[in-house]
Amino acid sequence: MNKLTDSLRNNKSYLTSLVLSIVAALLIGAVLMLVTGYNPVEGYAAMLKGVFGNSRVFGNTLAKMLTLCLTGLAMAVCSKAGMFNVGGEGQLFLGGLAATMTGVYLQGVSPLIAVPLAFLSAAVVGGFYAWIPAVLKVKLNVSEVITTIMLNSVAIYFCSYLTNSSGPLRTDDKGVLGGTEAVPDAFMFDQLIPRSNLSTAIIYSAAIAFICWYVMKKTSVGLEMKVTGENPRFAFFSGLKKDNIMIWAMIASGAICGLVGMFEVYGYQQRFLDSISNEFYYDGMLVAMIMNYSPLGIILMSFFFAVIDIGAGAMELSVGISGELSDIIFAIIIFLMAAEGGIRKYLNEKKIQKKAREELELRKEAK
Amino acid sequence: MEILAEVFNIGLLQNTLRTATPVILAAMGGLLTEKAGIMNIGMDGMILVGAFVAVSFSFACTSAAMGVLVAVLVGILIGIFFAIFVVKLKSDEFIIGMALNTFAGGLTVYLLRSIFGVKGTFSDKGIVSLPTVHFDFLEGIPVLDPLLNDNSIFVYLTWILVFLTWLFLYRTPYGFWLRAAGEHPESLETAGISAQKMKFIASILCGVFCGFAGAHLSLGYLTMFSEGMSNSRGFIAFACVIFGMANPPKVFLAALLFGFLQAVGIRLQSVGVPADLTAITPYLATVLMLVYIVASGDRKKKNKAKKQLENI
Repeated sequence: MNKLTDSLRNNKSYLTSLVLSIVAALLIGAVLMLVTGYNPVEGYAAMLKGVFGNSRVFGNTLAKMLTLCLTGLAMAVCSKAGMFNVGGEGQLFLGGLAATMTGVYLQGVSPLIAVPLAFLSAAVVGGFYAWIPAVLKVKLNVSEVITTIMLNSVAIYFCSYLTNSSGPLRTDDKGVLGGTEAVPDAFMFDQLIPRSNLSTAIIYSAAIAFICWYVMKKTSVGLEMKVTGENPRFAFFSGLKKDNIMIWAMIASGAICGLVGMFEVYGYQQRFLDSISNEFYYDGMLVAMIMNYSPLGIILMSFFFAVIDIGAGAMELSVGISGELSDIIFAIIIFLMAAEGGIRKYLNEKKIQKKAREELELRKEAK
Repeated sequence: MEILAEVFNIGLLQNTLRTATPVILAAMGGLLTEKAGIMNIGMDGMILVGAFVAVSFSFACTSAAMGVLVAVLVGILIGIFFAIFVVKLKSDEFIIGMALNTFAGGLTVYLLRSIFGVKGTFSDKGIVSLPTVHFDFLEGIPVLDPLLNDNSIFVYLTWILVFLTWLFLYRTPYGFWLRAAGEHPESLETAGISAQKMKFIASILCGVFCGFAGAHLSLGYLTMFSEGMSNSRGFIAFACVIFGMANPPKVFLAALLFGFLQAVGIRLQSVGVPADLTAITPYLATVLMLVYIVASGDRKKKNKAKKQLENI
């Protein structure tokens, strides 16, 4: 997994593979559209129109990019330290709920106090929910992959209980199914593009992304994380507190996910709905995997993913092709990129074999 | 007392069998790949595809058998697909497994929409469900009659498959080689048997089992397909493999225990506990069980080491 970790700039061949994979995935998507009786040109055109058609949809795309970028970075932060946080979805739900309730309860308080408290509550709750599987992994060696997946379902059902029919946090507002009270207008982030989902959350997101990149690439903590993730034994014998590094990486990851939940609410939804996220974290995780957990790569790739994701939604509305096509395209890119090293090796071997055979024949002829 | 009687009755055991069956099936598949040294977290997607294919072909051919057959064939294909990436191209198992789940989720919904023109759930009178089995000789016997009669055929088939899995792993040369492929691939290669081939076989068998699990889910347990209906069962099956230390009878018991807890959750709804809270039971139970098993395993190891030290 760490074969291609370092700077993308020095890795032209990786970029070539990436572009080829994307093209292949889009082609397979086109074939799938053809087979199921749609016109792929029409489909992809609708996709582009749904993303670049007007400023509102483009704002939505950028908002989506932020979500993907932050969830991707959350995955990158912990996996650098050798932890796989698959539980971002649950951390996002709980963090979003915590921030929302903070805002609701602090109605009337100055935003200068309330909003930072909302930030804090989202990060703490998200971080705490990631701390549980982290400790189980480090102290008891319980696979964090399984526990985080299970804790996702626990958190999602729990939030659904709290905000539905008889739940204690359900709103009295009519016409809202499965949601809490609304956060006061004064606490909401400002809209950057009218009627779109894009808000000043972009500034906070950029700050988080910068911190992630800086810590991972430019500080000793980042190096310690990398060492712990790549070779825990070496880390241990170098005197690194690898348990602490792993736990804190996981907490950081959970905190970022919690903040993503908060941004969803404070950015545009205004209240916590039990449908706050439609597997956003999994998409971010896929972005992170494709880019080998490189922070810069994640930031760039999340734009592409956002285009496909928002575009697919628009395509569903205008042409009737199911928007799930985006998941299929993403998965194919990942299959190809994960196998990139293997395919390259296989092709190389073939080439060498062919060369050897030719040489053999040349020698035979010479004789 | 009344509440207890409402929850703990024969219906609870019936529910246990029904809910545990798909998990047992998938867990048997996961156990084989685990033994062959592959961490397979793509089972959830495999089950989902199996469920979709089973419903589609049961509907198209008006035959449940065709549904199961095609689900198994597709399971084999997915097994080969998974093995090509993980074994042949040596890609990261975690990434491929996760991508497989995403792929399955996307593909089933996409096809659901474009073939059947529905979103969310496809249920139709035309879908033929799996037959139930009735034993005349059990009639009238108090506990056994309601428990063992009139279950979907897969409930019984599963027990046979668990036994066959055990037989295969511990009583045939193939099983021996498969275990060796996971534990000592080098030794196996030295003995002249390809570890890669054994991993391929394990992966294909896992696909078959997940095909069964999916078919049971959509044709036996329910008679419909709905978006994401595997509902993390593949992950729970994976957890069962870990509890059961990849030993077929133990994994079987772990899956039954999970089924029991989920059944308790379902029964609790009838005494007024909100459905969202009872839905948490199996997931929370999985985490707690995992912690307990791993922690007690650690303690045993430590005790053993202590004893050995004392003996010296």
